[in-house]
Amino acid sequence: MAPSGPELAKPRDYLREETTLWSWLATKDHKRIGVLFLAAVIFFFFLGGLFALLLRVELLTPQRTIMSAGMYNRMFTLHGITMVWLFLIPAIPTTFGNFLLPIMLGAKDVAFPRLNLASFWIFVLGAAFLLWAMFTGGADTGWTFYTPYSLNTQSSVLPVLIGIFVVGFSSILTGLNFIVTVHTMRAPGITWMKMPIFVWTIYGTSIIQVLATPVLGLVLLLVAVERVGGLGIFDPARGGDPVLFQHLFWFYSHPAVYIMVLPAMGVISETVCAFSRKNLSSYRMVVYSTLGIAFVGFFTWGHHMFTAGQSTFDAGAFGVLSMLVAIFTAIKIFTWTSTLYQGSIVVTGPFVYLSGFLFFLMFGGMTGVALATTALDLHWHDTYFVVAHFHFIMVGASIMGFLGGLHYWFPKMFGRTYPEGIAIGTAVLIVFGFIATFLPQFLLGNMGMPRRYYDYPEHFQSLHVASTAGASLLGFGFLIIFGYLAWSLRYGPVATQNPWDSRGYEWMTETPPPKHNFHEVPDYTHPPHDYSAPDVPHIPEVEHA
Amino acid sequence: MAETEKKEHGAGLYVGIWVALVALTTLTYGLGQVELGAWQLPIGLLIAAVKATLVVLFFMHLTEHAPSNRLVFATSIVFVGLLIALTLGDFGFRFKGMRPPGMTPLDLSPGAPAMHYTNPSDVGHGIQRR
Amino acid sequence: MPEARLAEHFATMDAQRRAGQLGMWVFLATEVLLFGGLFAGYAAFRFAYPADFLEGAHHMKVMIGTANTYVLITSSLFVVLATHSIKHDRSWTCAGFLLLAMLLGFVFLGLKFYEYYEHAQEGALPGVWYHVETVPRPGVIVFMTLYYLMTGLHAIHMTVAISVLGVVAYRAAGNAFDREYHAPVELGGMYWHLVDVIWIFLYPLFYLIVPK
Repeated sequence: MAPSGPELAKPRDYLREETTLWSWLATKDHKRIGVLFLAAVIFFFFLGGLFALLLRVELLTPQRTIMSAGMYNRMFTLHGITMVWLFLIPAIPTTFGNFLLPIMLGAKDVAFPRLNLASFWIFVLGAAFLLWAMFTGGADTGWTFYTPYSLNTQSSVLPVLIGIFVVGFSSILTGLNFIVTVHTMRAPGITWMKMPIFVWTIYGTSIIQVLATPVLGLVLLLVAVERVGGLGIFDPARGGDPVLFQHLFWFYSHPAVYIMVLPAMGVISETVCAFSRKNLSSYRMVVYSTLGIAFVGFFTWGHHMFTAGQSTFDAGAFGVLSMLVAIFTAIKIFTWTSTLYQGSIVVTGPFVYLSGFLFFLMFGGMTGVALATTALDLHWHDTYFVVAHFHFIMVGASIMGFLGGLHYWFPKMFGRTYPEGIAIGTAVLIVFGFIATFLPQFLLGNMGMPRRYYDYPEHFQSLHVASTAGASLLGFGFLIIFGYLAWSLRYGPVATQNPWDSRGYEWMTETPPPKHNFHEVPDYTHPPHDYSAPDVPHIPEVEHA
Repeated sequence: MAETEKKEHGAGLYVGIWVALVALTTLTYGLGQVELGAWQLPIGLLIAAVKATLVVLFFMHLTEHAPSNRLVFATSIVFVGLLIALTLGDFGFRFKGMRPPGMTPLDLSPGAPAMHYTNPSDVGHGIQRR
Repeated sequence: MPEARLAEHFATMDAQRRAGQLGMWVFLATEVLLFGGLFAGYAAFRFAYPADFLEGAHHMKVMIGTANTYVLITSSLFVVLATHSIKHDRSWTCAGFLLLAMLLGFVFLGLKFYEYYEHAQEGALPGVWYHVETVPRPGVIVFMTLYYLMTGLHAIHMTVAISVLGVVAYRAAGNAFDREYHAPVELGGMYWHLVDVIWIFLYPLFYLIVPK
């Protein structure tokens, strides 16, 4: 790993401290665990993306294009499962969350480092079950496993359920670790209202993970037991109730979407400040709206069930409560936008991603409010309108947040910078590819194209073709991104301590950080994101033997 | 040595709590033998809640722990309550045709079997709809 | 005498202790949510099948269930006395109380499995396996299924809790703890108490129904 320029005696950072394979696989260092998770989630991102591209190719023509109907069902199921549980849920918390949380709090590590390592290996174990399931044909139930179909289908459901159950454990343990870290390991000077916003969003996410995931574990366990043992909880033929499954499933899965988006909102809060060189318009508002989303998100699950047959009382209650949760996101969007206003904008890769994030979160969020209107949902439920809505959030917001964070913190994590011109260009390509992929889907859904359908009438074809073209652009763009980032790991220019001239707390230590994060714990008199403060203290290069 | 303040009470407190728990269990058993109609479950759950509170506060030392621990536990109870409440809000007000089979006795004609149950050998192979 | 057990990433022993306690409470919260889903299912089906639940209560063995409740409450007393004794440096008393609690745990499981055996003899099994009457009412079967699911999941947790106490008792007997450091005793004990609390709620749901 030759740095460009003359050989400097670089201080030992966490990457170079020890370099054996075992020192990585058995590490208790939260930074290395973050990097391990990063490698894993990127792999699953590409796997889930591959499933998506295959789906989109199949949908190029109305009848069979490249696969049978049964294979198509398995493909969208696996796309959903891989993207939700193997990418989106862990993505930002286990990677940037793991890496940055202790550093942003002035701590040496998370509260339970061995548990953190266990989280990673449990994730790998769960993923192994899911990969096995894919090899044995996979499930064809959709990622939502609705009963009674999931009880009766001959496809390979059981290993999928086990895999998700195990991955859920990993999620719970990570959340637990972060909650305890935030409560008990803040450095003196970092009070609750002086924590970086990214920490607040990871904290809020961790609360959701801890409260919601056990219910998912339970409901999947019940489906597995009912499949194998013939019990009758969800099967109407045995006195059970299929809507009960949906209640238990969505009690987790709705808060789960906030697990997927809150951390991305944290990334945006950090990068908005860095690239407009301004403090957030209102730190408090963003903190309160984060907690608002985390808690109120639990009150809204029934909006996935408007057509499932639940009572009108519940439908009404959930409709109103779903409107409430949108208010918190709106508060955040106003705050970010007003932060950008009259700021000194610096256009970088992360800036393009945050711009995309703002537009797509707005459209995705507003279509969410539209879907929460029961009368409208009766028309749109189970159509491509819903698919477009959640992809606007999951891809347009969450993935843009992930990519923005990856670029912003790339120097911090790896001590190298990436080529900015290519990054900006690719980010623009991603934004346009995204619009081409998912905007047509709103139109398709509104015209009545159902989701998860293999076959469709001729007059939908042109929109499907447009969507597939966009998906290819997206795929191409993602490949370029990981290409130049991988290149930069080895050949990128060595990063200075604070390449973005940011005021985030994480830039107050070396880049990359030493094994225990700090040689001396920094002085936290200034609040985070405070651009009225002078530059972060520069840490002199120390000669190491 | 800096310590979080610990109330020094003897073992007697714990034995006292145990006696209360035994008494409450006996009470709830006794009430369970009496025909209380619709009040059976609420009273049983209320006594259970009192017992659980004693265990949580004293045996698990929640009174001595940090306030955030109390908040964590209380939150979990509140969220279970939320889940149960809105699930009951569904079952309680559902359109008749969507209710679980046999929910209202009048839905079944007298003498007719509730439904056709399959053989245990069908287990794992999916229900064979006859 | 145990040497200072301060882990390198904590600033003080006090911070480490608070972190351990909060961590265990968060974990217990997840267990509450796990069982909470089943309680929601019970609530839904009891509302849907009130008469059938009363009929299903015929199968319940109230004496065994009540005995088990006393057993668990007493085991909880032994666990808290174990924590109390280690706070007074009495390692072997601590280990003794933990072993007594474990013994009661085994008694609980023994009674439970005897109960399941009796149910099986009568044909009161879950789901498709129920064969008490030729024409069972659906709600009765759902009641039995919920019974097996909830007490079964509880029994699994009971088994884990006994193992946890076993490990802690072994270490206590080896003088690994003292008045300054006894986190595993306290935290392991908290897990045991939660398993007790869950049973406290299961008891009225299944055993305190006056059968018709």
